[in-house]
Amino acid sequence: MFKDLDPLLHSQLRLAIVSLLISVQEAEFTFLKEKTGATAGNISVQLNKLKDAGYIDITKQFKDNYPQTLCKITSVGIEAFEKYVKALQSYTNV
Amino acid sequence: MTEKESLHLINEMIGKAKESYITQGTASIVWGALIIFCSLMTWAQYIYKFSIGFDVWLLLLIALAVQIFLSVKEKRTKNVKIYGEQAMFYVWTTFGICIFMMIYYQNFTRADHQIFLLLTMYGMPTFITGGIYKFKSMIFGGISCWALALISLYVSEAHSLLLMALSGLLAWLIPGIILQMRYQKNKAKHV
Repeated sequence: MFKDLDPLLHSQLRLAIVSLLISVQEAEFTFLKEKTGATAGNISVQLNKLKDAGYIDITKQFKDNYPQTLCKITSVGIEAFEKYVKALQSYTNV
Repeated sequence: MTEKESLHLINEMIGKAKESYITQGTASIVWGALIIFCSLMTWAQYIYKFSIGFDVWLLLLIALAVQIFLSVKEKRTKNVKIYGEQAMFYVWTTFGICIFMMIYYQNFTRADHQIFLLLTMYGMPTFITGGIYKFKSMIFGGISCWALALISLYVSEAHSLLLMALSGLLAWLIPGIILQMRYQKNKAKHV
């Protein structure tokens, strides 16, 4: 039986961000920008959507007098990602 | 986005994140080369009865200062924290402190088989690092240190220094060169 795909994760940039965050402990905004190749504005919008859903935590602080945005996946985010991958597998195994 | 495209994207991003786990191996190469150099120099002084006028092992202190400087610099430019990074920091700091304590103890007691203890210690962080990062060359390097430690019990103290030089080669220099090659290969892929 087909499972519904989480609409929040089934979007190219958001899925890319979550896939990156699931592989590391914590990443700066610049890391996500560098790896996804997306614009800062677009990443910022998608990060806020993921944060509102409780999938990621965002910490804003200063490092060497420069603003720094740190992103980290939450346990809710990990669970959602696992469910999403399982759902994808159930589709592709057909 | 189709299901296959989603899976492809996930794989691609996980692969890109994994690149952050590849280090330049500079510290490993520097320490490996220094251990080899200091061991061989001390061995040569023992065997050929000459003195260079200072304790060659003091070079390790200079390397330590350089290492701290490079680590601080790297931390400033790094924009990602990988799993196990903090654990590794504590493992290698523990190792550094224990080596310092051991050398102090040895100078204090003038105990025999000093190199046995040092090689046993060398094996510990090397084996743990190799195991955590699934880096076979370092796992082998760690085991080699322990094997060389056992062999050192059966050879003279002067010749034990050759075993120490070999440990520097197997535990740090070779894994460091492998890491450097992987790093360069990965860098070339993105040029």
